[in-house]
Amino acid sequence: MTGETLPAARRRTRAARRWGRHFDSTALPWLLLLPALLVILGLVAYPIIETFWLSFHAGADLTTGPFVGLSQYRSLASDPDFRAALLRTIYFCVFNVVATMVVGLLVALVLDALKSRGRLLGVIVLLPWAMPRVASGIVWKWMFDAQYGTVNWALNAIGLHHFSGYAWFNSGFSSLVVISAAWIWQSVPFIAIAMLAGLRSNPPEIIEAAQVDGARYWRLVLRVRLPMLRPLMVVLLVMSTIWAFQAFDYFFVMTVPPGGPDHSTEVLSLLTWLNAFSLLQQGKAAAIAVITFLILAVVTVVYVRSFREATE
Amino acid sequence: MTLLTGRARKLRRAPLWLAVTIICVVCLFPFFWMLLTSLKPDSDIFTATPKFFTTSPELSRYSSLWSTGFPRNFLNSLIVAVGTTVVGTVIAATAGYALARFRVPMRRYLLIVVLMVQMIPQVVLVIPLFIIIRSAGLLSSYPGLILCYLPLTISLGIWMMRSFFLSIPPEMEEAAMVDGASRLGAFYRVALPLAWPGLSASAIYAFITSWNELMFALTIMQNSAMQTLPVALNEFFATYYNNWGGVMAASVIFSAPVIGFFLLVQRRLVQGMVVGAIKG
Repeated sequence: MTGETLPAARRRTRAARRWGRHFDSTALPWLLLLPALLVILGLVAYPIIETFWLSFHAGADLTTGPFVGLSQYRSLASDPDFRAALLRTIYFCVFNVVATMVVGLLVALVLDALKSRGRLLGVIVLLPWAMPRVASGIVWKWMFDAQYGTVNWALNAIGLHHFSGYAWFNSGFSSLVVISAAWIWQSVPFIAIAMLAGLRSNPPEIIEAAQVDGARYWRLVLRVRLPMLRPLMVVLLVMSTIWAFQAFDYFFVMTVPPGGPDHSTEVLSLLTWLNAFSLLQQGKAAAIAVITFLILAVVTVVYVRSFREATE
Repeated sequence: MTLLTGRARKLRRAPLWLAVTIICVVCLFPFFWMLLTSLKPDSDIFTATPKFFTTSPELSRYSSLWSTGFPRNFLNSLIVAVGTTVVGTVIAATAGYALARFRVPMRRYLLIVVLMVQMIPQVVLVIPLFIIIRSAGLLSSYPGLILCYLPLTISLGIWMMRSFFLSIPPEMEEAAMVDGASRLGAFYRVALPLAWPGLSASAIYAFITSWNELMFALTIMQNSAMQTLPVALNEFFATYYNNWGGVMAASVIFSAPVIGFFLLVQRRLVQGMVVGAIKG
């Protein structure tokens, strides 16, 4: 379509619209972005700054309180409950992220091996992700019930009689085992499906070439296919680390009282919330939140850095 | 080559189907067990050897939930989830379109900022958002909770919408503008309908996230009449923790809408989310 073949009237309107287009290309995009920017500035950026601000104050009973500098952080450093919770969060996070990535990869490989027959299985795999965590937390607790739970029954049936009537929620460690099981159950789906999409994007020629060279299945997966997915793996690692580090729902729902028995399942997210809204220690809670934020920021940067170095 | 893969496949087949069976059982059993427990009479629930079927299912637990505060909690959840979905999807669609089609200054940085929002731990936001909502007088109100849910949902929504708009050839909108549509009209009449898959994916994501969310609901909805389902279910569980049948019936009602929604649009949703993750 060239200018000569257009009717004159059309050419005129087109010229007249040029000014409108100028407006469209300068003001309109900002108009379209405005609501999103308002949310990001007002409901994300400002709150982060406010959390830092509050952590330098002795806020209690929902008032900001006087400025106390870093004393919240100093008292946290010598607080054994906080240190235990920090370590517990890190252990929980490392164990669950590793388990989720490994299980997610295995599930993705199964789905990949099934080719198009795996479509229904793909839906089944994703169901746990959609289930509300409050509901799945309750169901998992029920399955691990000491007397009537299916897990103790099954363990007993395969000869582990030690577990007959075993009360999982009587100790911190065994509670964390159950919470981890539920957490992995609900976070594997997304990781697995994302990895599947990555595996499917492997160029078939390279896989075939490796097969011609006689590469065995696992060698092919570990040496050829996974290295091609490194960018995706880093993203998934960062995402699952952040999810695990701020896991809240399962802890809140499954342990009684939240963080119990005797503070033995308290993690940083729970500690933040309990301090802020149950103990009304706003300043302390803000300081814990800031520490969570900084740890995750450092972890994200380290991941991305190491990924960049590895690809260079 | 075919010989080799043929042999490898045969060797792999048995473990493969074993793995498929295990995956199915692990994924589905909690759902099955929740549903079954909610239907079994108490005498079948509390047995040393679990009963994996029931001959006399009863629906009385569901009907008795009707007379509690549960319908109100359900309605609250619905209003908050639908509100978040509508507002969040509009924001995601407009911002995604702007970032896909216009040469906005600092577009690269804007995209990174949007992605970073997804990475912010929620516990960092919960205290200041509570203060903001309280000073705005919006505690225990629908808009108050919806405001808290926007930061959790728009980031992925913007990424999904942007990638869908990028996949639509801009010539279609240009053709509409040649025919007299304004830029906004072309967005609304041409691009948006074509990006329907992305729109529904980000809408469902927003719905599922806000329907399932516990921490903000716990914090903002302090008046028990305004509580959403996660909070109400958790309280119900804490009060009647021995009434497993009743708790499971409540869990089924809580899970059913979101699972149904998910099944309706799962393929699109998954595509959208995976695209978001890979491009990120």
